[in-house]
Amino acid sequence: MMTNRMKRGRGMAASWYGIARTATIDRAGAWAELDDGGTGKVVTGVTEIGEGILTVLAQVAAEEMGIRPEDVTIGDNDTSRAPEAAHAGATRQTYMIGNSVALAAREARNALFEEIADHWDVPVESLRAFNGELWAEDTNLRMTMEDAVATCKGRGVVPVGSASFTAHGTGLDPVDGSGSPWQAYVFGTQVAEVEVDTWTGEVQVLGIWAAHDVGRAINPRGVEGQIEGGVVQGLGQALMEEYTTEKGHAITHGFAKYILPTSLDIPQINCSIVEDPDPKSPLRAKGIGEPALVPTAPAIMNAIYDAIGVRIKSLPATPEKILEALRNHVPGREQIAQSARLERAEAARHQSAKA
Amino acid sequence: MPKLRIEAEVNGRKVDRETEPHKRLLDFLRDDLNLTGTKEGCGAGECGTCSVFVDGKLVKSCLMPAGKANGAKIETIEGLAKPGDLTPVQRAFHKTGASQCGYCIPGMVMAATSALRENPQADIEEIKERLGGNICRCTGYTKIFEAVEIAKGVIAGTVPETALEEDMVDDSFIGANVRRLDAPSKVSGRLKYAADMKLPDMLQMQVLRSPHAHARILSIDTSEAEAMDGVACVITAQDVPGTDGFGVFVHDQPIMARDKVRHVGEAVAAVAAEDLVTARRALSKIKVEYEELPGLFDPGEAMAPGAPVIHDYAQDNLIKHIPVRKGDVAAGFAEADLILEDDFSTQQVEHAYLEPEAGVAYVDPDDVVVVISPSQNISHHRHMLAEIIAKPINKVRFIMSPVGGGFGGKEDMIYQGMLALAAMKTHRPVQLNFTREESLIASAKRHPSRVHYRMGLKWDGRITAIEFDMLSDGGAFGMSSEGVMRKAAILSCGPYEVHNLKVDTRVVYTNNTPSGAFRTFGGMQAQFATESMMDMAAEALDMDPFEIRRVNMMKVGAKTHTQQTLETASLDRVLDAAEQASRWEKGAPRVRGATRKDLNGPDTRQPCTLGARIKKASKDSDESERVA
Repeated sequence: MMTNRMKRGRGMAASWYGIARTATIDRAGAWAELDDGGTGKVVTGVTEIGEGILTVLAQVAAEEMGIRPEDVTIGDNDTSRAPEAAHAGATRQTYMIGNSVALAAREARNALFEEIADHWDVPVESLRAFNGELWAEDTNLRMTMEDAVATCKGRGVVPVGSASFTAHGTGLDPVDGSGSPWQAYVFGTQVAEVEVDTWTGEVQVLGIWAAHDVGRAINPRGVEGQIEGGVVQGLGQALMEEYTTEKGHAITHGFAKYILPTSLDIPQINCSIVEDPDPKSPLRAKGIGEPALVPTAPAIMNAIYDAIGVRIKSLPATPEKILEALRNHVPGREQIAQSARLERAEAARHQSAKA
Repeated sequence: MPKLRIEAEVNGRKVDRETEPHKRLLDFLRDDLNLTGTKEGCGAGECGTCSVFVDGKLVKSCLMPAGKANGAKIETIEGLAKPGDLTPVQRAFHKTGASQCGYCIPGMVMAATSALRENPQADIEEIKERLGGNICRCTGYTKIFEAVEIAKGVIAGTVPETALEEDMVDDSFIGANVRRLDAPSKVSGRLKYAADMKLPDMLQMQVLRSPHAHARILSIDTSEAEAMDGVACVITAQDVPGTDGFGVFVHDQPIMARDKVRHVGEAVAAVAAEDLVTARRALSKIKVEYEELPGLFDPGEAMAPGAPVIHDYAQDNLIKHIPVRKGDVAAGFAEADLILEDDFSTQQVEHAYLEPEAGVAYVDPDDVVVVISPSQNISHHRHMLAEIIAKPINKVRFIMSPVGGGFGGKEDMIYQGMLALAAMKTHRPVQLNFTREESLIASAKRHPSRVHYRMGLKWDGRITAIEFDMLSDGGAFGMSSEGVMRKAAILSCGPYEVHNLKVDTRVVYTNNTPSGAFRTFGGMQAQFATESMMDMAAEALDMDPFEIRRVNMMKVGAKTHTQQTLETASLDRVLDAAEQASRWEKGAPRVRGATRKDLNGPDTRQPCTLGARIKKASKDSDESERVA
């Protein structure tokens, strides 16, 4: 299958990452209302930059309020009209704003539940709501959320809620750096399979296996989208992207010079979503935006080494760099080095066996 | 200026308009016809966001003079389906989550539509090649491929139309693949990004940028520009009424260059005029006298004695140094059976969001200065702008417009201040849309870094000590540098419990394009070095790479590099998951690609050679059109 020209190999890399703002307390606020028609309204300071957080927030609010995601209207992104939710970054949206919206929506629902429980004369704990319906467990009492909101308002109460969610990171000691920068951590591992063209130096990534802990996947397809996007940005940095200046003047001043991954560069990306729930937040979800790209470049470099015995320590691994490294490559050097390593490892095993 | 008359059919309607002869088809569609679903991403035919059909052929409308469209039949994203309706391609994009920020998506939908029109039977390899002229920075293309395949089946009748519908939800919306609520607005081109917004009486802004990396500004003469017909105002640093300076950690960056310029592309002055052409002409009338200063372009030279000083407050050019210490490094290395030492470096990387920076500012009837822009940090920007324009905080309002990709690159307030100043000076709405070239030279990049690494290990693979020393190029301004160094330091030695470590991360000023926040915030630069070292150690110790990581991994109760005790840790689980999913063949990483048995599985793609996949094109297409 493989010619001498084309060499394949595999490599892997692990990674870790912190969720939300680093080495500081983080906070986000949200308001919620169960609105006419059994719809929901959520207002918060910052949301979508493309990752899909609007949909995640609608899912979270719908789940808490007993309505459907498409019934949720989100008012957002306005410093004069919405409560502060800080910034869109730091892999904090699902964690910070998601939890804030969950708590605000829960408070709005509880306000409604209090009224309906009184109206039906049942304990409030027996009430459940999902998908636009509200019912009391172990009874035949059931109504739509539209009717529930109307009933609640008829009793003089607008079901609203508000919440602030806090993540308790602490600053680092200025001398030894000690501190607890985050309250939630995620871990990831990726495997890369590459083919290296030893004539041209071109590397193609054919497969990526990406396993990432996200705490809890609110929207698994959205999580995959973040992993796929992160992997491809990591691939770009690994192999082709390089903003270059000469005495401060950009040489790569457009996309003809600054090379980005396109549809033909994309490996098959196989995602494994691992869920290790966050014990410190109501949603138990963590995040995935940034962590997804951390292990990609080292996994690819380790795979290139596996394929051709050349270790690229300076990114990106451009065809020029690969060819130069291959030219400086002394045949047999790895084998010599390897036998030395094997001896050492053997000695170590003897040593530890004796101990 | 003589006018150009264009008679054409646009989305099935006859259009007969006069326009300016310099306009591109893209401008004619967006400015004259208000068809803003067609986006501008690069203006050079390189990204595909402006793709439309002209006489049935996919073209990049930024490369076509408007005059060429005379007599043509044009179809844009708005014309693919009836208002409120979506085509199978658009519905499939909705279904699979193929749109994220959405800015490339109208162009991508056009390219996908073209692919399936050209060859309704195109296989996935051909589809990929036909999408090759369209860049997406968010999705990694995977969900787009999936969408085009579904749409192909539905159009051909081989897949039921129900494939386009949302998955059923059982008993919870948490964990369900709810379709993106914003997708219909994105796949149809209806969503208005900042550059798509038009307000009555709105001025257009253009920015004069520094041609020098480091120079003193001796004088700025704006009189000739200000006197021009159609120019509403010219602003410089002199127009800042409050305390000038912004930045995520240190407020070292003025709204426009004050007394000196520190990088090529730094804003020096800005013009707001009745239209873009007038604003551009006015820029050429602004006279700036510079006295060039010695530049600093290598972070290694920044801290050397006698190096040029870039900011007076930092005579050593150091923006930030973050130390992390744990245990006894000397003892750890003394205990080691093997010590590896090496150097790693990473490059400067551009975010390359498809939406260039854009924004609109106006002063509302209550004297509130309103800035609408794709800012990733409106809360902080509001704080900073209030100081800069000397207004109470409730007289400054930031609205975050739909963000066409950010990745950290839109956290810096590099143009919103200019917009606010011009709006305050003219009391008219002002819009500024960056060109791609402007975006590249003026916005922050990922920090280029150099890491010197020492790692000590026992024969059994346990790490006994790590010394990690990183130097990063912060460029001309501090931006997010401090935070990036902090995160790099905290994460530096990877997800491994290391009892003895000495970590230093430093970032310095240079006259290069500034570095700032970029997805992972220093995490990838640091862990690239660590994960390379782990494999080198595994090779030296004849261990499987998964095994050496398991020997060292953080578990529940582990103390992190900053001595935090972990209450949860999932590295064991993700290692298992990746190893199993990839069918990993165990063995030490010693160039065994030629003998591995786990390669070329069904979960990989086939390698490709360019141009080899177009199997069948419709009879009237030719090479040049295919390239377009």
